[in-house]
Amino acid sequence: MTFLAQVELIKPPEIEYSAIAPVLIVLGAACVSVLFEAFLPKHQRWAAQVVLTMLTFIGAGTALGLYAGAETTTAQGITTLSGAVAVDRPVIFLWVTLLLLGFGSILLIADRSVEPGGAFVADAAVRPGTVQDRAQATRTGMQTEVFPLTLFALAGMMVFVAANDLLTMFIALEVLSLPLYLMCGLARRRRLLSQEAAVKYFLLGAFASAFFLYGLALLYGYAGSVKLADIATATAGSDKSDTLLFAGFGLLVVGLLFKASVGPFHAWTPDVYQGAPTPITAFMAACTKVAAFGGILRVLTVAFERTNWEWRGVLWGVAVASMVIGAVLGLTQTDVKRMVAYSSVAHAGFLLIGSISLTEQGLSGTLFYLLAYGFTTIAVFGVISLVRNADGEATHLSQWAGLAKRSPVLAGVFTFLLLALAGIPLTSGFVGKFVVFAAAIQDGLAPLVVVALVASAVAAFFYLRVIVLMYFSEPAPDGPTVTVPGAFTTIAITVGAAVTLVLGVWPSFALDWAGAGGFIF
Amino acid sequence: MSWTLIALLLLPLVGSLVVAFLKGNDRTAKLVALGFSLVELALAVVAWVAYDPSSGARLQLTSSVDWIPTFGVHLSFGVDGIALVMIALIAFLMPVVIGGAWSDKLPEGRSASGFFSLLLAMQTGMVGVFAATDVFLFYVFFEAVLVPMYFLIGRFGGPNRQYAAMKFFLYSLLGGLIMLASVIGLYVTSADKLGQGTLDWATLVTVMKDAPTSTQIWLFLGFFIAFAIKAPLVPLHTWLPDAGAEAPVGAGVLLVGVLDKIGTFGFLRYCLPLFPAASKQLAPLVLVLAVVGIIYGSLLAVGQTDMKRFVAYTSIAHFGFIALGIFAFSSQAGAGSVLYMVNHGISTGMLFLVVGMVMSRGGSRLIQDYGGMAKLTPVLGGLFFVAGLSSLALPGTNSFVSEFLVLIGSYPNQPVFTIISTVGMVLAALYVLWVYQRVFQGPVRGTALLNVAAGPGTATDPERSGIKDLNRREIAVLAPLVALVLVLGFYPKPVLDVISPSIGATLSEVGVTDPVAQEGK
Amino acid sequence: MTPTYYLLLSALLFSLGAVGVLVRRNAIVVFMCVELMLNAVNLTLVTFSRMHGELDGQVMGFFVMVVAAAEVVVGLTIIMSIFRTRRSASVDDSNLLKY
Repeated sequence: MTFLAQVELIKPPEIEYSAIAPVLIVLGAACVSVLFEAFLPKHQRWAAQVVLTMLTFIGAGTALGLYAGAETTTAQGITTLSGAVAVDRPVIFLWVTLLLLGFGSILLIADRSVEPGGAFVADAAVRPGTVQDRAQATRTGMQTEVFPLTLFALAGMMVFVAANDLLTMFIALEVLSLPLYLMCGLARRRRLLSQEAAVKYFLLGAFASAFFLYGLALLYGYAGSVKLADIATATAGSDKSDTLLFAGFGLLVVGLLFKASVGPFHAWTPDVYQGAPTPITAFMAACTKVAAFGGILRVLTVAFERTNWEWRGVLWGVAVASMVIGAVLGLTQTDVKRMVAYSSVAHAGFLLIGSISLTEQGLSGTLFYLLAYGFTTIAVFGVISLVRNADGEATHLSQWAGLAKRSPVLAGVFTFLLLALAGIPLTSGFVGKFVVFAAAIQDGLAPLVVVALVASAVAAFFYLRVIVLMYFSEPAPDGPTVTVPGAFTTIAITVGAAVTLVLGVWPSFALDWAGAGGFIF
Repeated sequence: MSWTLIALLLLPLVGSLVVAFLKGNDRTAKLVALGFSLVELALAVVAWVAYDPSSGARLQLTSSVDWIPTFGVHLSFGVDGIALVMIALIAFLMPVVIGGAWSDKLPEGRSASGFFSLLLAMQTGMVGVFAATDVFLFYVFFEAVLVPMYFLIGRFGGPNRQYAAMKFFLYSLLGGLIMLASVIGLYVTSADKLGQGTLDWATLVTVMKDAPTSTQIWLFLGFFIAFAIKAPLVPLHTWLPDAGAEAPVGAGVLLVGVLDKIGTFGFLRYCLPLFPAASKQLAPLVLVLAVVGIIYGSLLAVGQTDMKRFVAYTSIAHFGFIALGIFAFSSQAGAGSVLYMVNHGISTGMLFLVVGMVMSRGGSRLIQDYGGMAKLTPVLGGLFFVAGLSSLALPGTNSFVSEFLVLIGSYPNQPVFTIISTVGMVLAALYVLWVYQRVFQGPVRGTALLNVAAGPGTATDPERSGIKDLNRREIAVLAPLVALVLVLGFYPKPVLDVISPSIGATLSEVGVTDPVAQEGK
Repeated sequence: MTPTYYLLLSALLFSLGAVGVLVRRNAIVVFMCVELMLNAVNLTLVTFSRMHGELDGQVMGFFVMVVAAAEVVVGLTIIMSIFRTRRSASVDDSNLLKY
């Protein structure tokens, strides 16, 4: 047989282009965006990148809308690329969530009104602390590579939640992580802090990736395939090595939990949240969380549902640890961004509760929670980026004293967002908790829910502390000022807060949409 | 579909928004707030007339629309006799409170419009709590009402207001979150039983009737802890003295007069009908707490040196009586308890107001800073005495009727607890009269009074002391309260007629036979 | 020679790498330890591929190599930039961020 004849024997996989069009659009735009960086003169790049990114979101959103709207024959979804990618109801929900949250983050990233020139360094290659560095602090340019990096990361996230085999998942994990590592180090102010955050995130992230990968390898040894469906089939038989299965599962899950910043795998979270430029923190906190939990949900539900008696107890403990760590360590924080970071660790614990109640309600509840939490978080970081003094953002809590007097609107919005994080009714945070906990109790996880509620009460304390500072304390004379944001940041904060309210008051449509169907594999 | 309750609910909310926008124009803001509260009072009268106690319908003036169909949650309102009298009490107290706070000195930099706006916002929340007939909706109002109260204490309270506000919020939030677990538990139980879960109160009553006792006990405890914090029963009461002492007088009246009644109302509306078996089993526990509360609250009231804390501790004793009446399971005691809730609102509200008037003259909260004040301010002294007598339940005042009903109704079922609790009556006479004696009787003394005096030797002279007796506004504020004290003391029938059928219905939902009625047969 | 020995060897290499990440101070060395872990995974994949008698594992090995290469690019960039700032690649010197 000739070589060419052999080639013809390999049949290319069927590709359902309409289904994966949103991902292709984002990836394609990311590549074009790189070309912009290469060929456009420096002063044109920002405008060109912003236009391109906006068009990308519109295009991807339209493609997704067309596909989801026209879906008649494959109502519950399909798998494509020879089963490597699934486009089912949860994936469509997660893609929409990711695109919306990504759009919100891009608005924050593109903003140049809050900090002249934007939150990103004008020239990352200049050494911090040198004469050139002081000169560039006043320059209005920015390292516009953040736009292609964001798009790549976003595309990685979209593939990650849709990946139906572990290898695709691993590649997607790296595609989403590598740009994030870089973006963390690009802050315009406090560059040392920012670079340090990048190093920490990178080293710990690579470490976690290695765990994920070794888990993948062991599961490959166990099942002879890395397809989630094949692993699920393999767990039905009893002739395989349980050691491989559980060692593989454990390592795999550690990698995933790390990305989702679930305690005790959260060590990077506060540092990176604090050091990274605030728009990037918003992007990480909202979108990475969505992607990571999308992946966790799929892996647990599709591949390991049958063995859940063996591993559930462990994740039970992890969820408790995460909630306790987040709530208790959050109490001791003096920096707003670190405080939100610990709050996100606690929220990750709540999300994990929803993820391990392997029911339809658990799935839809977790999806809803992700949507709600993402919008609140983006608005929170949008607000944080506005409180500034001469050195940049004033993130120390003491600097927030008496903010309500300086800027009642901002303080009001922030209070509302904090109440949402605390889970007070009429905010999306409350509905999210309600649906997740309802699913958990229905699935027999009542003790876990009680722990979660106590943790929420403890966490409420540090949210309240900020409210107390803003409203009940007198402002310091040399305190920070509140920048009047430009259109981009204003839109991001307004939309974030509005969605938080709407999902709190009228959650039905989102709940129905999140509960539209399960995973296809 | 009845619009009365919806109007009652929305009117103060609209008022709150209008008043909030009248910043910088305090006089108009006050007038508008007073206007809204008077219209609300008129509406409450309409509702009172529209309610027909003899019709036999459990809930009247009902209205309902779907809210979150996924969870069987409705926006449904309705009242029974118990809720109606509570709503009437709020509507009555609101103009009084606004009048009482008319010329309060607010902390520096706070505007009156903010204060009155928050008061009206709280009214909406409280009406909502009493009018909601969907457990989810009840929970929403239960938590939402915390927010305005938190700001009232934290922004407008005494020197230690931050601590008090935080303590108040955290206690209530913790209780609320524990209750949330039970709310979810109710939903899950109903979903198991009916297929589709619901949170409609009337449906849940039928569903829970034959739920296993162990389930009932767990869910009962969730609700009970939340209500015991609100009411407050003894081990969970420590927030009240702080909050009551630091709250501005107007907010204190609402806090102790109405907001805390949510707890006792919750016992009657949620704990008893939803968990009949658990209520019967755990009644001894509650009764112990109630009696301990009576004795403990009374003893501490005797020892107080701070007038506002004194009022708070007398309330703890009174809440013990109310809880005793509720969990004695007889129609007389139940009706007595509800009447007690109304009377306590009136008499403690009045006591709070006169204490506020004393404080506004002397500028101190400490009892030892006053003495012989009746010589300078005879009218204030007289009204303080009336409020005190009403609080100690002297025959002829309103509280006597209710206390008598509670004791005589509880005796057949719970003779031991009833006899112990009568000690509280004796102590009540002691603490009220002793405070009155120290503040108002004897020669003029005490630093607060002497410091205000114009010069040496002038303090004892009513004309020159600088301490003025009540002005017309203050008399106008207290007059309706005095009138009610006397009217309800001699002719409580109209109120009892509204209450009794609902108490009967509640008892039949619990499934107890009334010992007093049996004797009658 | 049974393939199991290769599995044990790769597990050993992976553990060595993991311990190295935890105890070494120099960022470059820490990073190289991560690379060691990735290569241990490659060995595992290839061994399992042999045991299952198919090529999937070897193909996955290629993917891992590509990803590892990309990671090197990004990682060295980041480590370089902080090294130029601090003249040190010790992770202990990065101490601006802590509890």
